[in-house]
Amino acid sequence: MASNGRRTFLGACLGGLAAAAAAVTAWPVYRYLAPRPVATTAAKVDIPAKDVPEGEAKFFDLGGTSAVLVRKRGGELIALSAVCTHLGCIVQWEKSKQDFLCPCHGGLYTAEGAVVSGPPPKPLTKLPVTVANGIITVG
Amino acid sequence: MALFKRLIDWIDVRIGAREIVAKELTGYLLPRTINTWYSMGSILLFIFALQVVTGILLLIYYVPDADKAFKSVTYIMNQVPFGWLIRMCHAVGSNMMVLVLLFHMLSVLFMNSYKSPRELNWLTGFILFTLVQGISLTGYLLPWSQLSFWATTVATNSVSAIPVVGQYLVEFLRGGKLVGPPTLGRFFALHVALIPAGIAALVGAHLFLLQRTGVSTPPFGQKETANQWQGDGYRYESHPGGIPFFPNYALEDLRSIFIYLACFLAVVFFDPYLFFPRDAFLPANPLQTPAHIKPEWYFLANYQTLKIFPSEFLGLAVQGAGMTFLALLPFIDRSKERHPLKRPLFMVCAVGGILLWIGLTVWGHYS
Repeated sequence: MASNGRRTFLGACLGGLAAAAAAVTAWPVYRYLAPRPVATTAAKVDIPAKDVPEGEAKFFDLGGTSAVLVRKRGGELIALSAVCTHLGCIVQWEKSKQDFLCPCHGGLYTAEGAVVSGPPPKPLTKLPVTVANGIITVG
Repeated sequence: MALFKRLIDWIDVRIGAREIVAKELTGYLLPRTINTWYSMGSILLFIFALQVVTGILLLIYYVPDADKAFKSVTYIMNQVPFGWLIRMCHAVGSNMMVLVLLFHMLSVLFMNSYKSPRELNWLTGFILFTLVQGISLTGYLLPWSQLSFWATTVATNSVSAIPVVGQYLVEFLRGGKLVGPPTLGRFFALHVALIPAGIAALVGAHLFLLQRTGVSTPPFGQKETANQWQGDGYRYESHPGGIPFFPNYALEDLRSIFIYLACFLAVVFFDPYLFFPRDAFLPANPLQTPAHIKPEWYFLANYQTLKIFPSEFLGLAVQGAGMTFLALLPFIDRSKERHPLKRPLFMVCAVGGILLWIGLTVWGHYS
């Protein structure tokens, strides 16, 4: 029994040492591989109003992700996330139909971001828009 | 434990795992007089694995472009968490690999283990030695520092001494008349793809040959030290009554690996720039050659030999002859005796050769 106890104790010590060595090795490798903080684009973007004519859409980078600003026929401004809610592709603006089509799996959204057809489970995320002195601010 | 045993049973009934373990590990018997020098191969396998892992990690941030390479290495060293550790392990590891490889070759040499039927083991080992030198040389250029650039310029230029095709060979190696961005591309491909694949294949061949011939018995502590191989047919050198590879010698291997790790990490943590002269920290400048540019320590003897001879061709020819002699040693040395102390001529040549190499290295360092 005494011999078995000693064997178990030494085994536990060895296991502990091996686990500590593995942790000491794994930590630097994990830190080395962990994503580096990159300078992200501003969380608010200013766009001159003249850059978005009626019926057109403007795509831009907002806080490290893709966004789109649409001026509907009639003048209403809508800002949306351009990331399809299905599998993360970037939607495309179909000017003739005034809707968004995801080229990956055919998800179709209205100009307001609501799902018309296809696999997207939810609408495109709406973003706040303000207009002042001819400048449209999104975000 | 019951689950673990069930898993082993599950595998065993499918592929006969226990039979392999019994034959290749617990039943793989080694000579009772085996010594620590036989662990060098295991240490080398460990180093090679570590070089592969750290090399893959470096590839994540390294950019093989002449305009970006130095910056990317500086970024790894200064910005990426533990980047300095990964790079230092890779750079120090490459030097250690050459050092341990030299010890491995010397132990095989002095125990006369290269003799029949192990000529192919020696030959594959010797090719591995040249490939390790090649992978070190090509890796040296990648940081695109002043040291990298000019050491590669000097190293590649020595090929020009070969008559007729020399100059063309230099341009072929460099991808142009001078070392430049095309050289970096070529050396990068050689360093990360071609040579590692060659080393892995030859390590496989080396181990296969070892498995087929069996481990040689050290000549020390034996009454009969003459080579018993007759050459009349294939015969595996077994060691009845010997010690099992697993767990006995595997633990010895593990101990040697830990001793190596202690030495290796001592350099990495306490003297990481041991192998880095000042020029290794300056970006390459093709218009400014630094003074006293020297190759790595293991090429210093070659460098000094080239300087001694009045003609570069003669210096290169002497080195080529020396390397050929070493590569073909088992075919030249046909003596049956294996104990080095019973072979005075062998000892004079071997010790003289080592002293000459050390002397040339020291001379090359201070010249």
